[in-house]
Amino acid sequence: MHEFSIACEIFEQVQATALAHGATEVKHVTLQMGRLTHTNPEQLSFCFKALAEGSISENADFIVEMVPPSLECACGYMGPVDEKQIRENSELKSELLVYVAAMECPVCGKQAHMTGGRELIIKSIEIETEKDLAADSK
Amino acid sequence: MHVINMEHDVFKANDKLAEKNITKLDKYQVFSVNVMGAIGSGKTTLIEEAIKHLKDKYKIAVIAGDVVAEMDASRFRKLGVPTIPVNTGKECHLDAKLVEKALDKIDLNNTDLLIIENVGNLICPVDFKLGEHLRIVIVSVTEGDDIILKHPMIFKTSELAVINKVDVAHAVDVNADKMRDDILSLNPDIPVILTSKHDLESLKAWISFIELGLRRTREAQRK
Repeated sequence: MHEFSIACEIFEQVQATALAHGATEVKHVTLQMGRLTHTNPEQLSFCFKALAEGSISENADFIVEMVPPSLECACGYMGPVDEKQIRENSELKSELLVYVAAMECPVCGKQAHMTGGRELIIKSIEIETEKDLAADSK
Repeated sequence: MHVINMEHDVFKANDKLAEKNITKLDKYQVFSVNVMGAIGSGKTTLIEEAIKHLKDKYKIAVIAGDVVAEMDASRFRKLGVPTIPVNTGKECHLDAKLVEKALDKIDLNNTDLLIIENVGNLICPVDFKLGEHLRIVIVSVTEGDDIILKHPMIFKTSELAVINKVDVAHAVDVNADKMRDDILSLNPDIPVILTSKHDLESLKAWISFIELGLRRTREAQRK
């Protein structure tokens, strides 16, 4: 399982950014995860929560937005894998395989180059600071 | 409450470090290969064969990745090549940071070919570049002929695929040609080599592929 080491990196980055902005609490952590990564959102969330225990991120909502793969083809096509490209095939049960098998250019039909779908981005965090608390109490 | 945009790509951080590693290897004109594959696919044996056939011609160093233990590293050392064991402890893959540290222990001035044996696994190594010129995936027929479609991304993102132990394909009721077809259906451009340690001709194909990559990369590095 490599989710733990990834969660460590995410936790460190989140903590550093939150503290640099004077956070007293991290409310939300939003990630963008490509569908072609070998990372499991539930395991990642579990690891993050374990790491965050006792920290200002302890109660943060861990939100993972999945990103479909995108393609670039020699014919000039650039864009995401179209749902229509995913063929109905009873053997292709895993989502990952379905997406990899659909990696053909929707215009010319040739195998296209992957340009997206393998990313794991800490998109944003939502924090509360002393100032927020003071403003709320007024 | 307020939102802070971070846009920090966790894998890109590793990719950047991998770029740094490859720049360093290019500076010293070292050709690096990342050998990935499941436990028992025959990575160590095929690397040993490559070392035996190439060590008189080229200076070879090895980074041997394993979760624990140094069995593989000691097999390479027996062949007289400098070997750095990297134990990942609990991790299931090597990453660019571990390779960066290992590079400090290798005399790059005296290295032509750096072979990195990844931890035995078809999943985790996919997401982590190391600083390699050639990504190789090795599977064996003993893993079953559905192993390819179960792990599509490693075949999609590798630059050479090896199907090993083909001499026992019949005994384990596996069709190696089906495995080759599955690989090509995922990645039509990838070269596929069928090998057995008992078939010298097949080993020669594996070894000459590495040598060809080394020569081509050398030429590019000299420019």
